[in-house]
Amino acid sequence: MQRLTRWIAAHPLYCMAVVALLSLLAFVTVYDLHDGRLRLKIDPTIERLLPEKGEDRAVFERARETFGDSDAVLVAVAMDGVFTPEGIARIDELTRRFGELPGVRQASSLANAPNPLAKGDMLEISTFGAQASEDPERVKAFPAEIAANPIYRDALVSKDGRTVAFSISLGDLSEEDFRKQDYTGKIRQLAREVSGAEQIWITGGPVIKAATVDALLDTLAFTLPAVLVLIVLMLLLVSRSVYGMLAGAATVLISLLWTMASAVLLDIPINLVTAIVPPLLLTLGLSYAVHLQADYYAVKEQSAEARVLHVLSKVGPGLVLSGATTVAGFLALMPQALPAIQQFAGLSALGVTFGMLLTLVFLPSALRLQRQNTVRRPLGERFFLMQARRLAVFDLRWRNWIIGIALLTVPIDLYFASRIHVGTEYIKSFHEDAEARRDFEQINQAFNGASIVSILIETHVNDALTDPELIAQVESLQHWLRRQPEVGSVVSYVDHLKLINQSLNEGDPAHYAVPREAAAVKQLLVFGGSSEIKRAIDSRFRSALLTVRINVDSSAQIQDLIQRVEERLHELKPPLNASLTGSPVLATRAVNAITSGQISSLALASFAIWVMLSFMFTSPRAALLAMLPNLLPVLLYFGILGISGISLNPTTSMIASIVLGIAVDDTIHFLARFNADARAKGNETAAVKSALASILRPVTFTVLSLCIGFLVFTGSELKNQVQFGVLASFTLFVAWFADILLTPALGSKLRIVTLWDLLRLDLGQSPQHTIPLLSGLSLRQARVFALMSKMEKMHEGGRLIRHGDLSRDIYVVVDGTLEAWIDRGGERKTLATLGRGAVIGEAGYFGQRRTANVDAVTPARVLRFDSQDLERLRLRYPRIAAIIFRNLNRVQAERIARTTAMLQ
Amino acid sequence: MTRILAGILLAAAPLLAPAQGAPAAGSAAAIVECMRANIPSSVQVKEVELIARDRTGGERQLRGRLYATNDKDRIKAMLKIGSPPDLAGAAYLMKEGTKSDEIYVFVPALNKVRRVTGGSMDGPLWGTDLSYNDLKQVQNAFYDPNAKLEGKATLDGTPVQVLQFSPQPDQASRYSSIRAWVEPKSCMALKAEFFEGQTVRKRFSGSAKDLRQAGPHWYLSDMLVADLKEGTQTRIKVTGVAADKDLADRLFNPSTFYVGN
Repeated sequence: MQRLTRWIAAHPLYCMAVVALLSLLAFVTVYDLHDGRLRLKIDPTIERLLPEKGEDRAVFERARETFGDSDAVLVAVAMDGVFTPEGIARIDELTRRFGELPGVRQASSLANAPNPLAKGDMLEISTFGAQASEDPERVKAFPAEIAANPIYRDALVSKDGRTVAFSISLGDLSEEDFRKQDYTGKIRQLAREVSGAEQIWITGGPVIKAATVDALLDTLAFTLPAVLVLIVLMLLLVSRSVYGMLAGAATVLISLLWTMASAVLLDIPINLVTAIVPPLLLTLGLSYAVHLQADYYAVKEQSAEARVLHVLSKVGPGLVLSGATTVAGFLALMPQALPAIQQFAGLSALGVTFGMLLTLVFLPSALRLQRQNTVRRPLGERFFLMQARRLAVFDLRWRNWIIGIALLTVPIDLYFASRIHVGTEYIKSFHEDAEARRDFEQINQAFNGASIVSILIETHVNDALTDPELIAQVESLQHWLRRQPEVGSVVSYVDHLKLINQSLNEGDPAHYAVPREAAAVKQLLVFGGSSEIKRAIDSRFRSALLTVRINVDSSAQIQDLIQRVEERLHELKPPLNASLTGSPVLATRAVNAITSGQISSLALASFAIWVMLSFMFTSPRAALLAMLPNLLPVLLYFGILGISGISLNPTTSMIASIVLGIAVDDTIHFLARFNADARAKGNETAAVKSALASILRPVTFTVLSLCIGFLVFTGSELKNQVQFGVLASFTLFVAWFADILLTPALGSKLRIVTLWDLLRLDLGQSPQHTIPLLSGLSLRQARVFALMSKMEKMHEGGRLIRHGDLSRDIYVVVDGTLEAWIDRGGERKTLATLGRGAVIGEAGYFGQRRTANVDAVTPARVLRFDSQDLERLRLRYPRIAAIIFRNLNRVQAERIARTTAMLQ
Repeated sequence: MTRILAGILLAAAPLLAPAQGAPAAGSAAAIVECMRANIPSSVQVKEVELIARDRTGGERQLRGRLYATNDKDRIKAMLKIGSPPDLAGAAYLMKEGTKSDEIYVFVPALNKVRRVTGGSMDGPLWGTDLSYNDLKQVQNAFYDPNAKLEGKATLDGTPVQVLQFSPQPDQASRYSSIRAWVEPKSCMALKAEFFEGQTVRKRFSGSAKDLRQAGPHWYLSDMLVADLKEGTQTRIKVTGVAADKDLADRLFNPSTFYVGN
């Protein structure tokens, strides 16, 4: 590790050249130079958030393949004189013009809807439009005829007869083209031109998806520059150098570029979930850069290379651990079944890794090339030092109260968290004034439903759906559906069939019924069906689609309906096999899948971070302690969700894992520093003060950057992104608060050995074999003992023990040579020469005064420990302590035996 | 449903052309004249097979017999369904009139004849990709004085003349234009594309190897109609075509057309 650090510090140009080359490759991966466009895909569809091979997606695709896209564009136009010949002519003209738009498969409205009229043996099958054109007087009868037709009722014209509906089915027009070519705008413009109406509302899947993408792009267009400005300001504040700012900003932007190139290579689109990744990575990258630069500009080494070396060895381990815990937080989301969440987790983890690597390789190299390496007094250093001292005193004084209050919040948070409701409101994600939301709500109100779900009935038997017994079951299902409060209307092939039967029987209402014979049913469907029937039953009469218009939008309400409908569908008898599908159903299932994985993701993130911390601190208990100040803010976050009524939705459900991964960094910084200081000073109280003084400033700056970075999301048009920004920054703030209050309070009685310490500690060759006190221990255990003690360096001639002193310390010689001697009448009498492995001063441990002087003959290192250290070791590492005590006894016994032998 | 008659006409009668009817000088008018002059006075098709395939690949098959006459450029046609058994016996009669067309349908389950008026011109025929309007357009094309010759081309190795027809406003067509690839020897359209704006909505196509002769007239024994927007297609096969036969009047009488075999 040290060799790598040295190499990076010595070869800045090489490091930067490699990064530049990789960045160039990343750029050509992201940007298509030939076509002059980004290769990143944007995918707004909610249904594609679901697994591609899932049954829900398969049903949805089967329904779409057989019956066409149910996601039509719905247009409502408020017109005067709808039921006049002129009004019908205008509707006819507008329908025709809608149908002529490129990419439109079919446009339907009152004008081109067939209106079968029976007159004795004659059956007139023509459209309302044609009938109005041929006989203007007939228009007066249209309202009654529409009201009597279950297929058209509340579908073609609103109840008050003033708003006309148009349904526009799209053909091979992609969602991206629909949005890019502004079809919503084109349709609105066309409707205005032809109808002359002022009030036009447009909704439907394609419209809402396009509006969502626009909102996402607008959000990115706002958040990315805003975070960039934040980066520039924060880096300027920290480095107080334009060069430093540019180097930091370049580091953050390159990590984003690499991440986006990875997205292209891994075929990960920017969707509703992954759209959070770019600003999130910029924010996290900023915090790393701030952290490194804060130390770099405060280092007092003269040469740039020495500064880089110092910073890398001091900040490097912390940054790696911070990055690793953040990555663990993201990766904990990977087991979730939804591809979008997996993509988010994978991309974010990659981005954090890139950010961490670049901060450790590129940024120091760039800073190393800065010509003027002036040491600057860090901004606010004095202020933070003063506050840290006060805070440390406060934390230590009120330690029990702080811990008590923190623990008290747990049951309170859990109580409120139990009131969290799961779900999301799709259209209400938009601002109240947003056109997409306003139009949806207006159409929803005027036509008692603006969202379409479908029931796909499959029998896998040709002509099965012409069997009157099975038709009766479908009819019964329709009646049941119409009684559900969420359902505005239901249309199936049974409605078409009954209308055909009535029409072919002189319009007699008594024949508005299903024929008794299957052959008759088939003949009516084959010879009497219009083109519309293709959307209700397939050509082999083996599968059918019930089109259900619903008037609810929230996932909770839709889930409630899904549950009831599915129970009812199970009552259908074979060979009827029915499934509920449609974009709202798929979206609701996606929401539920995301939120139901919340607990497991959080548990997994916590466990992964705990394992890492245990490994790093070589103590599960210490790791748990490091986790506690971060789990409490997460619990508080859930409590706030319960109190505020904000739902646990796909966006808010990610906050806990993300924040946990980020916030634990501050705890690590504090505890690592505390441990080092406590060992150096031999005093935990002093270490709390010095550790707080050391970390308060950078941690505060980092949290400030992160909070402001997340708050940038409040500029989004989408409510869920606003909630994400506010809640994430609030939770991070609470985590910071816990870190400066609770972590010192908890840690004040703890000494933690980090893995880094273990790796760094040099005990010489095979200490467990060459130092008798460490005999029987593994190398790792020997190092743990050494770190629980104090390593002291002696210069040549230095005195370790003074004869007659009262002291309880014991020493073990690690290397060098020492001499034990006494003064006999002014004459120095050497008692023993002590080398590696010798134990010195054990008599002091038993309360005796020092019986000799001990001086270093050569430069030497000794391990010093006392009874308190041994007691701490006994509590935290009882196995190690037992072996040490045994060895100590053995040393004592040998010494007594030797003394006894000398006396004899 | 009445459009089936026109569908059959397309499959057999309008595409029949005399072998000797070669176009003169290769002008558009000459080709149209050749095509129009080739419509036989009557036609009987022993078996018409319609195979409609939906976008999932599901197929529905109908078989029947067709009788058609051309009486002073007014077509009368009757189709009687023979299979599948549960649809057997259904019959259609279409009589083209000066003001409007008369269409009669007999549904065995109701045991009633219904005269159908108005009609949804662009609706599908029995779930096929044919509509009455499509076929009327083909028929109208034979009388289009403004047809344009776009040039020569090769279609699957067969030399053809490419013509463009523009429906007249009074024809109330949904199509903005029709482009036809006409084989010059038979005056048969081997391919026709129906445009909605700039987009091809439907495509009729056949192969030169399926050109057959009934007496002096040519016909396509196998052709495909594809609805490119819906992603569906219908295959039409005709066998046992006999042209210029004397056909009994009862076949075209609304009271008796459905009776007998």
